[in-house]
Amino acid sequence: MCAALVLTTAIALSLTACTAPAADREARETRGPAPVVDDFGDTLSLSRPAARVVSLNPVTTEAMFALGAGARLVGRTRWDASPAAVRRILDLGDGLQPNVEAVLAARPDLVVLYAAEANRAAASAFRRAGVQTLSMRTDRIADLARVLHALGVAFGDTAIARVVADSVQRSLDAIRALPPRTRELSVFWYAWDVPVITIGAGSYLDELVTIAGARNVFGDLSQPSPQVTLESVAQRNPDVVLVGPRTAARLRTDRRWHSVSAVREGRVLVVDTVLVGRPGVRMGEAARSLRALLDSAARALP
Amino acid sequence: MITLSQAVVRYPGARVNALDGASFVARPGCVTAVVGPNGSGKSTVVRALIGQASLASGSARVGPFDVATADRRALACTLAVVTQREEPTFPLLVHDYVMLGRYPHYGAWSALGPGDAAVAEVAAARTGAADLMGRRTDELSGGEWQRVRLARALAQGGDVLVLDEPGTFLDVAHEMAAFELLDELAREGRTVLLVSHQLNLVARYAAHIVLLHHGRVVAAGAPTDVMRGDVLEPVYDWPLVVARDPAVGAPVLIPLKRR
Amino acid sequence: MTNVRWMILLAALAVACVAGLAIGPVAISAGDVLRALAGSGDAQAVAIVRDLRLSRVCLAMITGAGLGMSGAALQGTLRNPLAEPYLLGVSGGAAVGAVLAVVAGLTAAVALPVAAFTGAAAAVALVLLIARVASGRADPRILLMAGVVVGAFANAAIMVLLSGAGEGTTRNALWWMMGSVAGAEWGTVRWLAVYAVIAGALLVAVARDIDLLALGEDAAAGLGVRVSSATRRIFLLSALLAAVTVAGAGLVGFVGLVVPALARAFGMRRAREVLVASAVLGAALVVTADVVARTVRAPSELPLGAVTALVGVPFFLVRLRRAA
Repeated sequence: MCAALVLTTAIALSLTACTAPAADREARETRGPAPVVDDFGDTLSLSRPAARVVSLNPVTTEAMFALGAGARLVGRTRWDASPAAVRRILDLGDGLQPNVEAVLAARPDLVVLYAAEANRAAASAFRRAGVQTLSMRTDRIADLARVLHALGVAFGDTAIARVVADSVQRSLDAIRALPPRTRELSVFWYAWDVPVITIGAGSYLDELVTIAGARNVFGDLSQPSPQVTLESVAQRNPDVVLVGPRTAARLRTDRRWHSVSAVREGRVLVVDTVLVGRPGVRMGEAARSLRALLDSAARALP
Repeated sequence: MITLSQAVVRYPGARVNALDGASFVARPGCVTAVVGPNGSGKSTVVRALIGQASLASGSARVGPFDVATADRRALACTLAVVTQREEPTFPLLVHDYVMLGRYPHYGAWSALGPGDAAVAEVAAARTGAADLMGRRTDELSGGEWQRVRLARALAQGGDVLVLDEPGTFLDVAHEMAAFELLDELAREGRTVLLVSHQLNLVARYAAHIVLLHHGRVVAAGAPTDVMRGDVLEPVYDWPLVVARDPAVGAPVLIPLKRR
Repeated sequence: MTNVRWMILLAALAVACVAGLAIGPVAISAGDVLRALAGSGDAQAVAIVRDLRLSRVCLAMITGAGLGMSGAALQGTLRNPLAEPYLLGVSGGAAVGAVLAVVAGLTAAVALPVAAFTGAAAAVALVLLIARVASGRADPRILLMAGVVVGAFANAAIMVLLSGAGEGTTRNALWWMMGSVAGAEWGTVRWLAVYAVIAGALLVAVARDIDLLALGEDAAAGLGVRVSSATRRIFLLSALLAAVTVAGAGLVGFVGLVVPALARAFGMRRAREVLVASAVLGAALVVTADVVARTVRAPSELPLGAVTALVGVPFFLVRLRRAA
């Protein structure tokens, strides 16, 4: 309610604020090259490297630690878990439609947002309040390099951003280069139960499954998180089912899921969803663990 | 027999009593009429008899039952009511509608039998509704509907009938026919109580008239005792004279122009 | 004539059930479906037919029959052909219960129905209480208004609860609020069935009261009905019957409105006939709607509530026009 009020006011104010772009351009010209335009089309313009940052996306939060900028964080989301040091930072909610006042109270000079439509109003509110924003999508593997570069620019150190990005890329390539399996391994990724939600071609996890040398049985669906019927899972008959640690037990005991032969015959693999769940700087590690998990399962197959 | 003694009814939220110590008796074998101006408590009398308006004090008795404590189904087997307005939300076949009158005789799980259909047929024949039995209730004219409702009340099988404004929506011929039938039913030994503002018509058929005003009985007795200018004028607060019907000799009320 | 009508209704239900059992992405021959129902044959076919299709068909039948009967009883008792169970705050209360359970992280299979049911029962109790305080008795108009008010309050509560919830929670709650029998599993379906049969039988037992109440309060009282307690009893039974369906399948709109009207249009007039016919027709309709929901956009499925609403809204408008 409060946030909604603030947002409404902010939108009203935006109608009068049209002199800002000119100032941006000036600042950029004096500082040199590499203007960063984020996924909302906003240009990042900081007069000096960001020193107080609120990151409302676990991927960017983790990336900041990887860039050695963890100490600059003054706010995070409820979901952040990695690295452990992150828990000491102020929790500012779930990262979507943030409470603008609460974020401003942390006195950031940069707010990093996930570029979802739900965050667009908040981004412009922060900018009108004189705080720079960086709104980036982090949906696919390729997004990480852009995010790292943008953060590098924000902290005035694009070299380290380059190093981290290359390192992630190299470890992914290493897994991709492993010898192919003798027999194709098809997987079903169990993301949600009612309704049944899995991963489609538009998702980072689909990319990760491919890198780990397997085939997503719903890779033909274009949405990132398609909702499917349980019987269609049975029909596509995956070799293995991938599931998070919290739902594995339920899946194994649910009679309905016994219509899927992989579940009935015990080919359910528990994935470390904290490691694998997000397209962040630990993607290489994620791909390696997934490949190992699938290899062990493949050996057990006839 | 219907006996109301010192009946007091106050509706929730109302500032005055709808019935304020009203007492009267309706005896079997004749038509008794309750009359009075709008808001005098006429309809509340009917509601009190079926337990829809509970008495704050006093009592209402119908046949052997005290309304306050009687089993409702048993009461409905003795007392049948034709309310002022009634419109089925969803149309029924007239036959099915008349059969509703048999419901009080059975519990939830016992079925109605051929005997009940026979009772319904007889009741319909009595009120001239026999040829309507295959029709739908929403296809009937006002007069047909009133006859069907009376048939339903007769099908209930009790010997006490209460009718609230039975002449409403009826043309002269149908209205007269209805009153003739009620008179006949009373002569067979039933207790018939009419609630009506049709003073002139009531005066022709009722043996006993009860005049209500502000929830109290202000006059009761034979038509000639109640249908008097000095009794009615203060109640209706309107100048009127009472003449005598030249044809049948019943008292006739004639309201005057105020000036 | 009457017998022919009942045969048609039962045939419609049978056809819907056969379709529900035979149609699906995995092709299973009619013979294998029968064998699987009997529990023999290929383990995969048995699991699909029994644990996926049959449980869905059963839950769809319970949902359709429950909503149909609930609507039929309420329309008669409240003397309003546009009355339906969701208008009485049942859906809102159940939704609050379910969303509370989801937000609290109670995601076990039994938790959601129990929470929805508790919420619905609480909403009904509240509606009855409001009606009692406002009018001192179970006045049909006040009941309807109280239902609408409780429903609006429930919607506000849901928004507050969801505003602080995560993406998964919101998705769960939204899916549930759009109605679906995709989550049908025997553990839940079994007790919902027992409950629905008891509540349905009790409604049929008070069918004569519904006939009489449909005439108006005073007319019903004159025919031996204790109006307030009978209204309250029917209201409670209908609401709890609707709550059973909400607990099992979420919010499936318009069935409670459309089905009793169809039963009447089909020539059913007395409350007992309308109730039973609404149960059969409702079951057939929702089983069919579920077949549509899971086939038109395969391998995805549409929310069941969306399919029933697509049929129900035009119907509602036509009826409204006729009523006006």
